[in-house]
Amino acid sequence: MLVIARSELMQLFRNRLVLITSFLSPVAACVFFVSRHELFSDLGSVGYIAAVVLFTVAAFGVHASTVTTLASRRQTLFLKRLRSTPESDVGILSGLLLPLIGLALVQVTVILAVLSWVAGGPAHAPLLVVAVVATLVMMVGLGLATAGLTNSPEHAQVTTLPVSLGAVAVTNWVGLTGTAELTVLKRLLPGGAATELVLDAWNGGAGFSESLLLLAPTLAWVVVAVALAARFFRWEPRR
Amino acid sequence: MTSTPVIDVDRLNLSYGDFHAVKDLSFQVGKGELYALLGTNGAGKTSTLEIVEGHRRAGSGTVRVFGRDPRDRRAVRPRTGIMLQESGFSPDLTVRESVRLIGVLSRREDRVARLLDVVDLTHKAGTRVSQLSGGEKRRLDFATAVYGRPELIFLDEPTTGLDIRSRDALWDAVDRLRADGSTVVLTTHYLEEAQQRADRIGLMHRGTLHREGTVAELTRALPATIRFSLPAVAPTPPPPAARRPDGGFLVETFALQRELRALLDWADARAVELRGLEAGPTRLDDVFRSLDGA
Repeated sequence: MLVIARSELMQLFRNRLVLITSFLSPVAACVFFVSRHELFSDLGSVGYIAAVVLFTVAAFGVHASTVTTLASRRQTLFLKRLRSTPESDVGILSGLLLPLIGLALVQVTVILAVLSWVAGGPAHAPLLVVAVVATLVMMVGLGLATAGLTNSPEHAQVTTLPVSLGAVAVTNWVGLTGTAELTVLKRLLPGGAATELVLDAWNGGAGFSESLLLLAPTLAWVVVAVALAARFFRWEPRR
Repeated sequence: MTSTPVIDVDRLNLSYGDFHAVKDLSFQVGKGELYALLGTNGAGKTSTLEIVEGHRRAGSGTVRVFGRDPRDRRAVRPRTGIMLQESGFSPDLTVRESVRLIGVLSRREDRVARLLDVVDLTHKAGTRVSQLSGGEKRRLDFATAVYGRPELIFLDEPTTGLDIRSRDALWDAVDRLRADGSTVVLTTHYLEEAQQRADRIGLMHRGTLHREGTVAELTRALPATIRFSLPAVAPTPPPPAARRPDGGFLVETFALQRELRALLDWADARAVELRGLEAGPTRLDDVFRSLDGA
């Protein structure tokens, strides 16, 4: 697995287009939000900025990159090549996605650290860690599922939009309006409960165990995504 | 086959919807053999090969490689090298990195430099795969397939796109591997390669194994041929010579030497010149062409 991850990381840094679209663009958007933190915390809260930062990176740096990477590796038959070795399917996928997830974690950590420095830190750091991990896992799962419906890297530019934009939109909706109204709907949408978890973790005010219940919808999306991926994911191009 | 077969396929079936791609296919490949699986386009050999390689699930029937299910990658793949029909390399990795990656994953021991030397890609070691020619990619593919001298090697169209020098080098490398005891399964459209190299050949047609055996066994079933033409004033040769539509004559015989001698005697006795005389045993091409009428 690690040898695949190492080669994937090398490829990532050699492909400027992927580097810019998947990593530099989300960072630029996050820098904008953090630099205007006073404006956005007035609109919502500092927790809202943290949620937007997390979901921007998760949507474009993790979900879209996962789909593009897998579609590209499938199209070039690289996935089939890797399956010609003793490496397990889980090992192959983990190796391919580890660099994306690792980079996203570093991005989120650095940006949130800067946000803490300029606007004050989270009320419950451990809860924030749980929220970040759950969000990234959910977006990886949704990425696997979307990759099953994506024929090529070019096609990924279309197929990633519903989840990526949808999750960011839900984050903004929940972050700006809270969950006092339409509570169930907001929590059941992908990213809704995770956003509320980030808000609780950063802004405080909710109990730790009460907030942990918000993990359930996020984990349910993971289960749904993995089930969809198991049904639709293909290792070779459609003939 | 005296020892336990390396590959054992028994009543294999595979369908794509209503299309029955592989029908009740059975064959075995023994240790150290070079078995060529040949067939017409759409005969089902790629599907068969993919199942035996473990890339595809069988519809029904059993397939065993080293006595195991070929989908048991952890058990089978460390002993198996696979040269795919198409590239399957990452364009942004270099030649050296590609060989090292697949080599390390194969769990076999070897030196990247040795393999690059075998396939004459040492001078391209630092070149990205995206910059290789088609032939160079095939050689890279071969290098990864034989990394660590696997016990079983699948070669799917190995010489497509290779120049004659690269072909010779590839077959020399295969010969060395076989000398070390490796078993080889080959598919190719170059029938002369199969005729020269294969210990046994399986001929697939419309999803079934139509014929199987050594080259001698396969060609024995079809007659050898003598072809010639005659000057306009020459007498008609005796049977079994038969006139062809182009005006020449064709003799089909299972006793080539006897018929050829009889024909030469007939021509000598009449002082007739046999123009463009060609006589030869049945070739694999003839066996292959005979499939179309099957």
